[in-house]
Amino acid sequence: MEIELNSRESAILEEVRRFLKSEVTPELLAESHHLEYIYGGEEGRKFVRKFAANGWLTPCWPEEYGGLNSSEMLMYAIRNEMAYARVPIHFAGAHMAGPSILRYGNDDLKKNYLLRLASGEIEFALGYSEPAAGSDLMGLEMRAADKGDHLIVNGQKTFNTHAHVADYHWLAVRTNLEGPKHKGISILIVDLKSPGITIRPMITMAGTRTNEVFYDDVVVPRANLVGEINSGFKYIMAALDFERMFPFGHYKKFYEDLVAYLKTVTRNGMPLTKDPLVRQKLAQLEIELEIIHHLYFQLAHMLDNGKIPNYQASMEKNFLTDFEQRLANTALEILGARGQLREGANGAILDGLPEWLYRWTVIETIYGGTAEIQRNIMAQRGLGLPRA
Amino acid sequence: MNYSLNDEQKILKDTARSFFTEELKSSLVREVEEDEQGYSRKLWESIAEFGWMGTIIPEEFGGFEATFFELSLILEEMGYAGYAGPFFSTVVLGALTILTAGTPEQKRSVLEEVSLGKRLMTLALEETGDGPSACEIATTAKKVADGFLLNGCKRFVPFAHVADTIICAARTGDGGKNGEEGISLFLVDRRSQGVSIEVLNTIARDKQCDVVFNNVLVSGDSLLGEAGEGWQLLQGVLRVASVAKCAEMVGGARKVLEMVVEYAKTRKQFGQPIGSFQAIQHHCANMLTCLDSSALLTFYASKRIGQGLSYEKEAAMCKAWVSDSYRKLTALGHQVMGGVGFIDESDLQIYFRRAKAAEQALGDATYHREIVAQLMGL
Repeated sequence: MEIELNSRESAILEEVRRFLKSEVTPELLAESHHLEYIYGGEEGRKFVRKFAANGWLTPCWPEEYGGLNSSEMLMYAIRNEMAYARVPIHFAGAHMAGPSILRYGNDDLKKNYLLRLASGEIEFALGYSEPAAGSDLMGLEMRAADKGDHLIVNGQKTFNTHAHVADYHWLAVRTNLEGPKHKGISILIVDLKSPGITIRPMITMAGTRTNEVFYDDVVVPRANLVGEINSGFKYIMAALDFERMFPFGHYKKFYEDLVAYLKTVTRNGMPLTKDPLVRQKLAQLEIELEIIHHLYFQLAHMLDNGKIPNYQASMEKNFLTDFEQRLANTALEILGARGQLREGANGAILDGLPEWLYRWTVIETIYGGTAEIQRNIMAQRGLGLPRA
Repeated sequence: MNYSLNDEQKILKDTARSFFTEELKSSLVREVEEDEQGYSRKLWESIAEFGWMGTIIPEEFGGFEATFFELSLILEEMGYAGYAGPFFSTVVLGALTILTAGTPEQKRSVLEEVSLGKRLMTLALEETGDGPSACEIATTAKKVADGFLLNGCKRFVPFAHVADTIICAARTGDGGKNGEEGISLFLVDRRSQGVSIEVLNTIARDKQCDVVFNNVLVSGDSLLGEAGEGWQLLQGVLRVASVAKCAEMVGGARKVLEMVVEYAKTRKQFGQPIGSFQAIQHHCANMLTCLDSSALLTFYASKRIGQGLSYEKEAAMCKAWVSDSYRKLTALGHQVMGGVGFIDESDLQIYFRRAKAAEQALGDATYHREIVAQLMGL
């Protein structure tokens, strides 16, 4: 499959591939998997600092902030290579908060955070969801009282995935109780070591960790306010568009490993891959991967051509996360009872990845906005259907 | 990959869109379904004036010498407008096969007339309707003193009843009765003695035919390409034709989605446009996904064919996916439109029926997934 890159960028991508091949250790892979491919663990930090020193973490950022002035296409290609190599791919700082600071932050914020994000020195955690505000972020209630040179924050967040490994919180808070709800939200950057913050684990059925975070009179300097006060909802929406760009390399790698494994399996005296039903299922997945490739790189193409992928980002996220579930389920269907064996179990196939994916891929269709919310976005932004 | 059209391609697409919007109203689409010939002669002549039959035909034979990609843009607009007629059979199944296999003399004698819209063509290949397969070809071509004698029955031959020339696949060799060896292609005049044609009554009311060859004598120079190599010659043509069919389907899918979304915005129930209901929005979003994914695969496969790159796997993936997606999309459209969509007056039901016919044409999803599996080395 071709990816349209100029010769400089193609050379960079080649270097990235070589680097990944030589630098990815079993320890990093284990940590990355354990942390559900988020960044912030010890091995991940070691790896990413070396990786990011080349500008590869944020290639499409300006050089002065640690980027390479490159295209989105290269950025998408690199992220997908990282996913294929199964190293951390969910960078809340470099890929979500960072672009928002680049767009909406003042010079001080840019100076304080961008270079450190681009070099992999620091990581952010997104602080959006609350017990009563999931997909409907406008309903968030965590309060920040404006005290002039600082704000005092109180309340609770939930499903803040990076919070236990990150350095800063990219925190959405309510700063105005009057007027329309979406005009009372602000974004603060909060040092997660600030007094008054408590982080508690929530363990998912895939064994991964997300968190609830409690704020008790936490003091945040006013300098850490992003953009205009009460304009935070706009910034969140923009950042969500970045978040919804989901690389597919991890799943492509799993699929390739699955096919390679199935070629070695014989059932009823016949190679499994000669079974017409198995062939049909694998071919269908192959086709769906091809579509995801196009949906993913089309987003980069649009951004490079000055277009905003509004519904297309949702479509890509949705298609991929639906595909992941089909992939995991198809793998278990073909593998039969052996597919349920967990990592380390006697006879576990592909290190137990099939059954883990089966548990994990459900979560993917919820994170970043549920599949249903994505469909609403496609209908409303893509097709102009009216809101209820 | 570059997912945009260049300026010339945009103009071609816009021209085709406005031409068909103007010349092929819904009333004419319906008339054509009832018409015995299955197409509008007047419309055919207008299309010929644009020279679109010659899109991929070299200039020396009166064509434009554009690539398959440009042809796919025209086909998409035909699908959008609900065009039914012998364009596909003539240009894709006919002219493309001649371009692939014909001698310079055959090209000269046939392609110039095709470019001008003066010769209609088709391809008589399938005999069972299980998708194009060499194994099912039982029609024979026996060498005789002054040529070949054709005997056999072909099914699902589009527009054979009006085609001037039928390309017929038949066995000349006796070595490989069931295999891919020994198949040859012949140019047959539809009016030849011994050719009998019956139009089949199909779901889409498109003109697919049974063609019986009963001791049909064709001359030696009607052999297309080398004797015994017909199947190998057809392989590429069939793959390209599959993508061409997908282009039509993508056009149809686009039209259906527009039709349905328009309805959802205006139709009110419970005091609001039904398009504001989440159930309807999710149907429409799923339709949009069906459309965009189909369009991307078709775009990519067409582009590769146009650029002369390998396309076997891309074509098979494309036809497998689009066959299923177009059917799903039209079915979802019915869920949105409710009763209004399934009565005769609705255009949706026309596209719904045609989606099934297009799904079956040139091999359905199961057929093409098996090809993908083979190309994956499974």
